[in-house]
Amino acid sequence: MPDRLERLVNLTATLLDTRRALTLDELAERVEPRYPEDLAARRRQFERDKETLRELGIPISVETVGGFGAEQAYRINPDDYYLPELTLTDAELAALHVAVTAVRLEGDEGRAGLAKLGGLAGEGVDEAMAAVAITPLVATLFDAVSRRARVTFSYRDEERRLEPYGVVLRWGHWYVVGHDLHRDAPRAFRVDRIDGEVTLGPARAFEPPPDIDAARFVRDDPLTYGEDHPVEARVLVDASRAGWVVDQLGVEAVAERRDDGAIEVVLPVVNRSAFRSWVLELLEHAEVVAPEELRADIVAWLGAIVAGGGAS
Amino acid sequence: MSPRPLVGPRLRRVLALVPYVLAHPGVTLAELAERFEVSEAELERDLELLPLCGLPPYTADRLIDVWIVDGTVQIRLAEYFERPLRLTPAEGLALLAAGRALLSVPGSDAHGPLATALDKLDGVLDARGRLAVDVGGSDHLEELQRAAAETERLEIDYYSFARDEMTTRTVDPWRVFHAFGAWYLATWCHRADAERLFRVDRVRGVRRTGEHFELPVGGGDAADLVYRPRPEDPRVTLRVAPDAVWVVESYPHESAEKLGDGSWRVVLAVSEAAWLERLLLSLGDEATVEGPAAARGVAAEAARRILARYEPSAR
Repeated sequence: MPDRLERLVNLTATLLDTRRALTLDELAERVEPRYPEDLAARRRQFERDKETLRELGIPISVETVGGFGAEQAYRINPDDYYLPELTLTDAELAALHVAVTAVRLEGDEGRAGLAKLGGLAGEGVDEAMAAVAITPLVATLFDAVSRRARVTFSYRDEERRLEPYGVVLRWGHWYVVGHDLHRDAPRAFRVDRIDGEVTLGPARAFEPPPDIDAARFVRDDPLTYGEDHPVEARVLVDASRAGWVVDQLGVEAVAERRDDGAIEVVLPVVNRSAFRSWVLELLEHAEVVAPEELRADIVAWLGAIVAGGGAS
Repeated sequence: MSPRPLVGPRLRRVLALVPYVLAHPGVTLAELAERFEVSEAELERDLELLPLCGLPPYTADRLIDVWIVDGTVQIRLAEYFERPLRLTPAEGLALLAAGRALLSVPGSDAHGPLATALDKLDGVLDARGRLAVDVGGSDHLEELQRAAAETERLEIDYYSFARDEMTTRTVDPWRVFHAFGAWYLATWCHRADAERLFRVDRVRGVRRTGEHFELPVGGGDAADLVYRPRPEDPRVTLRVAPDAVWVVESYPHESAEKLGDGSWRVVLAVSEAAWLERLLLSLGDEATVEGPAAARGVAAEAARRILARYEPSAR
């Protein structure tokens, strides 16, 4: 095991230092401790080493050399390996240390990243105050965003192709946002609803608009996010739920205050099913007053549930 | 698992600490150990390995030079490790996400070292404007955080969404914590005489009492935050249409089974009736209660109650 670690360090140094890509034979002649003499064992061992380096994020590029009996050759392009100049102050490192301890991320990527930037400076905090779950898929999509690589994935049984502009965490869910190539329109997708893998196209395949603000692609509220023909709804809310609704919609939504403390709120509806769920969450403490079509929609919906079943 | 240490983490550490020592010649072993989260003994093992490493043909002038004198470290002849390895996408994302989350908490310094560090990272990762992490604020968040920090007992007005009722309670605010897209207040609730968790956005009013409490050991541990079904909570079995699979994704369930027609059979623990009513009302015909019998009429009963408001005589 010390031998293997030693060879991995030496292999990294050699691949980084070389001016031209080296074949496995050439590496076997150079790198110590030596790879096995037996060719199959040598290849196996080298593949394992290569895999370990790649797992750490070390970018090994593969080139084909030698015309006819073509062979694979390997090197590490220094520009791909080295962290660009960053120079964080100790105060900044300490602030990041606080961040990775105050925000629980599930996984040690935060600390591993910090080690590359100069390690843990200052004091972290003992107890996390927030949890942010980063799944491998979110990291893949973030990678596609930085590489400007198009992504393909399946979403609600439909294949989507997206020029990803950013990733956004809101309401506890990750979204990938960008330009949907099939719809030719901006779209946001919930990452946990992507089925299976995400495929990345080649890097630098598109140029995102300047001054992107990914957050703006995810609408503030499902209520205001939809493609139904917009209508204005008027909802009567009992006094007991009035404060709660005002908190949600803002005081400007209040159109009328009644003597008994009940309020009438006005809100634009562009997503009827989201609106229906929202009204029904208030149970019998709210009622759609207008327009008649939305009122009728609620009545029909509830009527179907009554007809659908259950003992009285 | 075999007890042998994994080679990956050690290699990762070596590749991070060599550039650090090159940039900070004479750094002490103690400081290095702390920065890179290793014992000094382990650190010395890492450093002992380095003089065996270098470039072919591994002659003295090609091997890494390590000096440890009076507890300080210097490294030479390792120019190729002068700068650290690039951040992986996952590492960059983790650092930015943690930093952005912390920065979005009300009361954090928008121009302090965290903000400048994130700005530099944004530049290097070409991530400016491309990563947004919003843990949002809530009306009473700062007040509750202050009370938790000062261990001051509070009186709160709380809207229980699951039970659909408004209550006033005296609580010992233990911790304020963000998870799953919402802020929570972990407390000892004197009304329930038990540990209780409250959603900060459903706190409708906060009053100081001037009394103080003592934080119990392990009180309000973050791991307890998620709703965990209690054994005594009733179980309800739902049949859910393929389009409503979000039910399976969104709620902790006892079991979920995909059926031949693409629908799901899911068993949920239901602690409060209003919660189940809302779920069924919003699902409509996309869900049917399979059992127990007592739960079968829940949706229809709730629908009747609401419909009563819509009857002509009710207006």
